[in-house]
Amino acid sequence: MFKLNRVFKKPRYLTIQQNNSQPAPTEIEGQGEKSVLPAIPNGLWTKCPNCGETVYTKDLSNNNKVCVRCGYHFRMGAWERVDLIMDTGTFKEIYQDMKSVNPLDFEGYAEKIRTGQEKTALSEAVLTGYGKIHGQDAVITVMDSNFMMGSMGSVVGEKVARAFEFAAERKMPIIAFTASGGARMQEGMFSLMQMAKTSAAVGRHSRQGGLYIAVLTDPTTGGVTASFPMLGDIILAEPDALIGFAGKRVIQQTIRQELPEGFQKAEFLLEHGFIDKIVAREDLKLTLSRLIKLHYRR
Amino acid sequence: MFKKILIANRGEIAVRIIRACREIGVATVAVYSEADRNSLHVDLADETVCIGPARARDSYLNTKNIISATVLTGAEAIHPGFGFLAENSKFAEMCKACHIAFIGPDPEVIEMMGNKAKARQIMGQAGVPIVPGIEGVLANFKQAEASAERIGYPIMLKASAGGGGKGIRIVWSRDELKKAYDMAKKEAQAAFDDDSMYLEKYLVEPRHIEFQILADHYGNVIHLGERDCSIQRRNQKVIEEAPSTVLSDELRWKMGDTAVRAAQAVGYKSAGTIEFLVDNNGGYYFMEMNTRIQVEHPVTELVTGIDIVKEQLKIASGEQLNIRQDDVHIQGHAIECRINAENPALGFRPSPGKVNILLWPGGNGIRLDSALYSGYDIPPTYDSMIAKLITHGQDRNEAISKMRRALDEFIIEGIDTNIEFLFQILNNPKFRSAEIDTSFIAKEFDYGA
Repeated sequence: MFKLNRVFKKPRYLTIQQNNSQPAPTEIEGQGEKSVLPAIPNGLWTKCPNCGETVYTKDLSNNNKVCVRCGYHFRMGAWERVDLIMDTGTFKEIYQDMKSVNPLDFEGYAEKIRTGQEKTALSEAVLTGYGKIHGQDAVITVMDSNFMMGSMGSVVGEKVARAFEFAAERKMPIIAFTASGGARMQEGMFSLMQMAKTSAAVGRHSRQGGLYIAVLTDPTTGGVTASFPMLGDIILAEPDALIGFAGKRVIQQTIRQELPEGFQKAEFLLEHGFIDKIVAREDLKLTLSRLIKLHYRR
Repeated sequence: MFKKILIANRGEIAVRIIRACREIGVATVAVYSEADRNSLHVDLADETVCIGPARARDSYLNTKNIISATVLTGAEAIHPGFGFLAENSKFAEMCKACHIAFIGPDPEVIEMMGNKAKARQIMGQAGVPIVPGIEGVLANFKQAEASAERIGYPIMLKASAGGGGKGIRIVWSRDELKKAYDMAKKEAQAAFDDDSMYLEKYLVEPRHIEFQILADHYGNVIHLGERDCSIQRRNQKVIEEAPSTVLSDELRWKMGDTAVRAAQAVGYKSAGTIEFLVDNNGGYYFMEMNTRIQVEHPVTELVTGIDIVKEQLKIASGEQLNIRQDDVHIQGHAIECRINAENPALGFRPSPGKVNILLWPGGNGIRLDSALYSGYDIPPTYDSMIAKLITHGQDRNEAISKMRRALDEFIIEGIDTNIEFLFQILNNPKFRSAEIDTSFIAKEFDYGA
């Protein structure tokens, strides 16, 4: 039986270049115009850490940075979160002029702040402001893990505290989106004090009858968890978010026991009564708006 | 001209493109799914890359793998053929981002024309006659009802994201509307993941006449005459021919001019087709624009002597069109029959399998575009078209007689084909006297419905 196999040519195998760096665009002569050799630009596709699927980055952005295959919630920058939650054009930033200083003269700190600012288009690790959610007024604070891992230093603490005071003054609800590795070590005790300050601000806002909703996102850990996020009247979390205080390994070594499956994930916390509800990103705006509606009568 | 291109398709169109490339010295990269390992297009190409398992979604629609294959082999351009990713604006955008020349129009144009409702709107604004219908898509059933009353029955419900005959319902009267509306929406959602519908007047027994366009990147646009594709079964073409018997020279000139204007209105580039519906009063209406090379392109190639695939390659590599409208002459008459691996007697059920015996027809004025070879195992995973038989004669009668003679010589054993059905069409008196319109098959054949 005739089998068409390599009738017209000999087999040749593809060779793959060993060097992994992004090749500089190679110019080739064309019809009098220079053209560039095809190359896939970095960031055109994103690999999902959960299912391993390579997703077209634009598809990911259009899906609120949730993996189109498995629903894994990628981390969101502060401005992206604002676009998701606030009604278009209603958001006004406040306290953006607060600048961090280096009270302990920690080496390399100033450099890290600059890098964070470039990466996030924010002046510090938290964005504070107010706007409308489905037409209802609300103050929001959004932490950005791309800025020094969302760590809380003096400016972050001060901005958060002032945001609560702002909300209390104007009798507006406040929503805090958290993402943090904990207190900022470069500021030592000043950072730890922010835990107390922010908690106190939450208390004052609450005594005036204000609604405070905390939305814990991946990751929310350390000194931040042990302060204002866990003080929400209602505590929501994104699916699969890592939420904890001490690190998993530290705990394991301290108690010398194996930790249960899913420890420190949002689902685990829900089961154990630490949070009120897990809300998928696509439902988040509607959920927040309904909660505000229930608590605030016109 | 490109040094190397990748063909993101399979079957006869992949073979067609590879052949054109070989003739002008362009190296070719073929991609194939695991089911197509022994395909002709794989063997003809200079380099090949396997891009996934049989299922189209994992292979021929796998943008990531195709782009990777292009970059790895150093191909400068991708020819998407027809179907698969040919009208996928997202894919065209990816190519652009990776500096790969997409042999076709710009992503924005693909997107615009891919949305049938929007395309109608844009054409209407450009002064191209459109079938009376609504603007945009139907918001709800109430609007459908009201619009249908206004336009007058019979009307046609069409899926905005549609193609290939799906998501279309003809409604003759008011009481049929609700059911048709619900069913069409359901079908559209399943086939295209988009259930938006629009509505137009249903032209009773129109002819489907399309014009071939060539446009370069410098704003030069010409048309290569028309093709009459009225012989359709369930909105899928079976036989195509050029020129059309119903167009007077004047009407041809007018419609061609309209087609060029339509292409210019959207800044079109490469090869494309403007589809019109023509009623029996010489009225013509824009139906849709296909932003790709089409299955039936050989018909135009034979009557004009212009190689459309080569022109696409030239245009995409930045050359100016060197054919002027005055240079385009229609010589003789060409007819194409689509040979499918299907059994008409069993509801046109697909009939994949091994082709044991294969005898190609030949002779003066016979062209065959196919990826078949003796002993080839036709995979069941893809569409059933296995060959295109095109004849060219001095006039329509000669083209028909050549087609009958060629079909008679055509021997394929091991699978069922629609050749017998094609014979019946060719022998049909109405077909021979060119009294045909889009209702032809449904009316003349029992199993045509």
